[in-house]
Amino acid sequence: MLAEPPRNGEYLVAAYVVATLILVGYWVRLWQKARTVFSGQAPRGT
Amino acid sequence: MGPTRRTMRRGLALSLLGLLGLAGVYVLALGFTPIEARQGLAQKIFYLHVPAAWNALLAFSLVGLASILYLWLHDPRLDRFAAASANAGVAFSAVMLTTGPIWAKPIWGTWWTWDARLTLTLFLFFLFVGYLALRAAVHDPSERARFSAVVGILGMLLVPFIHLSVYLFRTLHPQPIVLKPSAPSLPPEMLRTLLISFTVFTVLYLGFVMTRYGLMLAEELQEEARDAG
Repeated sequence: MLAEPPRNGEYLVAAYVVATLILVGYWVRLWQKARTVFSGQAPRGT
Repeated sequence: MGPTRRTMRRGLALSLLGLLGLAGVYVLALGFTPIEARQGLAQKIFYLHVPAAWNALLAFSLVGLASILYLWLHDPRLDRFAAASANAGVAFSAVMLTTGPIWAKPIWGTWWTWDARLTLTLFLFFLFVGYLALRAAVHDPSERARFSAVVGILGMLLVPFIHLSVYLFRTLHPQPIVLKPSAPSLPPEMLRTLLISFTVFTVLYLGFVMTRYGLMLAEELQEEARDAG
């Protein structure tokens, strides 16, 4: 008979939460920087 | 709307699409990919850890290649691309270096071990954090580009060692099961989820690089305008 897989779902949840926080956090930071750079005196691109 | 703003907006949109794709990867990995019998649910960390690692190493390799080309051609676009790629690489490395120990704890019984693969990867992360710190510290654009190109090339030289470290040294880290000379040793459903996740991470990489590139160009133009005024 095959043994039950180990119960370690809390590690899975922790890893997915941490990865999401890093990637979403990085995107939000880029978005905020873009807003700052382009607020008011928007440079004309070349 | 100037091309700078357009590049940045497209980058933000592409990376947002990548984040939505990431949500899709979570659904696919958790709901439609089998649970590995020996490792249990923790094995599903694989679908984040491995694509993040591949993209981090890809990003740092491209930093090195762009840096070589910059030293040869002196085209500021190559320097800008290298810096944008290094930024994205550091973000993906952060994912790799946090999800790795969380996966290691239930499987190896320890969060970390100072073997060649893990130690070299940590050094690579620190090296590119240093690369970004160097760029922030040097204000002359041509000096900044030259100095950081040298660091970028040195960083790239670590990448093949990291890939081969599992063959060269005794390590707890498993050997490659996809990027190896023979066929991938993964069941088809797991391979499908892994490849979809890799595609999503690559979309994120492209979006991050485009956004960062547009931001740097915009900041350079603002500085030029200030100096001229």
